[in-house]
Amino acid sequence: MKTWEYIVRRLLLLIPVLIGVTIITFTVSHVIPADPARAFAGGPKAQPETIARIRAELHLDKPLWEQYFYYLNDLIHLNLGKSFLEERPVATALAQYFPATFELTIFAMIIAVPFGIIGGIISAIRQNKLSDHITRIIAIVGYSLPIFWLALMLQYVFAYQIPIFPLEGRLSAGMTSPTTFTGFYVLDSIFSGNGATLLSSLHHLVLPAFTLGFATLAIILRMMRSSMLEVMGSDYIRTARAKGLSERTVIYKHALRNAMIPTITVTGLSFGGLLSGAVLTETIFNWPGMGRFAAHAVLGLDFNAVMGFTLLVAIIYVIANLIVDILYAVVDPRVKLGGG
Amino acid sequence: MRSFEKKDMKAGVLAILICAMFICVGFSGCTQQQQQGNPEIKNPTTYVRYDIGEPKTLDPAEAYDSASCDEVFNIYDQLVTYHGNDTKTIYPALATNWTVGSDQETWTFHLRQGVKFSNGDPFNASDVKYSLDRVLTMNSPDSGVAWILSQCMDLNSTTILDPYTVQIKLKNTYGGFLALMAFSVASIVDKKIVEANGGVIANTDNEWMKEHAIGTGPYTLDHWTHNSEIVLKKNDLYWGGWSGNHVDTVVVKTADEASTRILALNSGDADFAYIPYENLVDIKNKTGVLIFNAPSYNVVLGLFNTKSENTFMANKDVRKALSYVFNYQSAIDDAFNGYLFPLPGSIPKGMPYYETQNNGVPVYNHNLAKAAELLNASGYTQTTKFKGNYYRFNNTAIRLWYNSGNAERQKMALSFQQDLASIGINSVVSTESWPQYLNRLYNTIDWDFMFLGWMPDYNDPDDYVAPFVGSAANGGDTFHTGWANATVDQMINRAKFNVSSQIRSDSYATAFNIYINDPSLIYIGQESYTRGMRTWLQGYSYNPCIEYYYYNYYKAYK
Repeated sequence: MKTWEYIVRRLLLLIPVLIGVTIITFTVSHVIPADPARAFAGGPKAQPETIARIRAELHLDKPLWEQYFYYLNDLIHLNLGKSFLEERPVATALAQYFPATFELTIFAMIIAVPFGIIGGIISAIRQNKLSDHITRIIAIVGYSLPIFWLALMLQYVFAYQIPIFPLEGRLSAGMTSPTTFTGFYVLDSIFSGNGATLLSSLHHLVLPAFTLGFATLAIILRMMRSSMLEVMGSDYIRTARAKGLSERTVIYKHALRNAMIPTITVTGLSFGGLLSGAVLTETIFNWPGMGRFAAHAVLGLDFNAVMGFTLLVAIIYVIANLIVDILYAVVDPRVKLGGG
Repeated sequence: MRSFEKKDMKAGVLAILICAMFICVGFSGCTQQQQQGNPEIKNPTTYVRYDIGEPKTLDPAEAYDSASCDEVFNIYDQLVTYHGNDTKTIYPALATNWTVGSDQETWTFHLRQGVKFSNGDPFNASDVKYSLDRVLTMNSPDSGVAWILSQCMDLNSTTILDPYTVQIKLKNTYGGFLALMAFSVASIVDKKIVEANGGVIANTDNEWMKEHAIGTGPYTLDHWTHNSEIVLKKNDLYWGGWSGNHVDTVVVKTADEASTRILALNSGDADFAYIPYENLVDIKNKTGVLIFNAPSYNVVLGLFNTKSENTFMANKDVRKALSYVFNYQSAIDDAFNGYLFPLPGSIPKGMPYYETQNNGVPVYNHNLAKAAELLNASGYTQTTKFKGNYYRFNNTAIRLWYNSGNAERQKMALSFQQDLASIGINSVVSTESWPQYLNRLYNTIDWDFMFLGWMPDYNDPDDYVAPFVGSAANGGDTFHTGWANATVDQMINRAKFNVSSQIRSDSYATAFNIYINDPSLIYIGQESYTRGMRTWLQGYSYNPCIEYYYYNYYKAYK
């Protein structure tokens, strides 16, 4: 199968995946005995007409299956509905929050991937030496530390005790965001030539990106180390050394490519996971991203927001997995996409 | 081997030193020395507040939640207003003076001249009529706030007598009318701007007005980044002028995490922050920080379900007994860490006619003996033996509910359960999320006792007494307790449709004497409005009717 055919086939498979996701999420969120209409309308102060209108708008007075088909009909027309908690379209909210999370994720991966891979390589080639012990300790600390604790500590130490980084947010208080081209403040600042917001956005990214990246770094480091160790013990590596190739060539030309495959899987899944929003990190650093939005939506039973967020996450995961599979083929020519 | 050990030693020592440095920095916060002198004022012309929840809209005809109203009050003006922490007096704003006719229904407002909106458009009577009619026509479907005006006004009410005189003829006398006119829903918008951006469509919110704001108030909207911050800048055309001390810029940040707000306040990044009661200890005695508290109009209530399947809940003596079981002091001391004031009845302290409620002295107190006496006299004695103890109500458990995440209500529920057990009443404490909680309260009778609160819409007791103890048929019983009393309804209506202080006072006193002896609610307390603030913030005062008025704030040390 050609690569483009494989990609199209995988993207078409996205449709039944999304249908399945919507059925499950819709059912679970709607069967909870709750009164979201009254909650949206103001709780005890809600006016009966307002409650009735919201109920009608959400079709809460209809059977569940009928409510689902109303939702599906809106979805086909690319209408994700309205977020009652934010009183604006879900699509508008996601369009604001997704770039914020994406930007944070990119910077987290910039920290996690190179350091994780290099750390894993060093750890493997210097197995049982001091550098291996240190990197393994870093890895253990990375995935053992509760992320909220790390976030709070970084905030406390580097934003309060030694205030070299900002406490929270994407920009300094009161600073107007750059002209929107992409929603990524760093890129938009560059495109609009706004040096002040560029510096501020980068400055604000450091602590939350490190918080998110550290845990991912740990995972990548461990995976890289174990797969490198496995590959380094292979016969063909022994042969390469016996042929007199330099250690550098043995490691980076022969061992690394094979060792990368499981690391690519883990990296891809981590990327997808981070893109779905890191609730704790975003909450502590007051980052207006998908994680916080999703948390508010779930707690407030904002059905449309929950559905919209879930759909987006499903799409992200499918695309992340697709990219991972394509990268397999790039890294390992033996891998044939589509199995053909 | 020897060189490896040396390298190991050096690396090990270095690692230990680095760890020690982090530990020392981390613990230094625990033993932070008091700084000498006042800390340098950060952002001297900008007021920064960290809070939870963000506005839903900036449209006064739609705004009903407190976060939205906070900003509306600073961007727009109303005809009348409150000043400082004075809740008793209504002051001129866009109206310089007003009269009420002998019919008690016709109000004439004389408007302030020379006022401009922040875009330069002149303000006059047509904007007033447009703004008030707009609220009624739009009848915000998202918030339902229009009821505040529509309870006494309709589209025929407002008449322009001349460019600076407006007459409002109410469809019925309303004792709290001026208080309504001071609420954010009565804010005056620029007719020209609204007409140019969606206009007024019946029963439809204006999407443009949700995120744009042109008012006559001291500040204008600079930008609003959802779930992040809303920024206001000073309105150079403000009719009140800018002589004296005022902040130029206001930044209100939405920060869900308490620790972030605490650190922001302690570091001076925030001038003002909402800090939960249990975290006030984290800002106490911090350099440059003080805890502000004053009675708010927010009340904490316990609700009795008189329609419960447990029919004993319909018995007023049972509810009186339960009112004596509840430990009010424990609620104040333990649940609210001392930040709760006693509440004698429906009307909170500071609101007119508070003194009609036993002169402000709560009728009920924690008295288990009295509770037992009432129950025994009603025939609900401890006769059912279960696991060695004797219980009342055939060992039927009273179902106590609180909404999850509310620490204060959880503590009160557990304390109540203990006290009930001590006089032989079994109970079950349960919790669920807010939407489920509301569903239980409003759509089921599957509860006996729940906790809830209430916040003011406007500064008039009708906003409390009517919804609390009025019957459902009279537009009350907001908490679905199922309680009703014809005389109380009569008194509520008498006070509502009268402007005479004496008549209103007598009516509320009569109503109180009835409903307090047949309680549908436990009046647990009146919350303290408690916030952390920097000592450099001057001009701040708390008014339950207008929580924040940034124009008065400035930063300096006294």
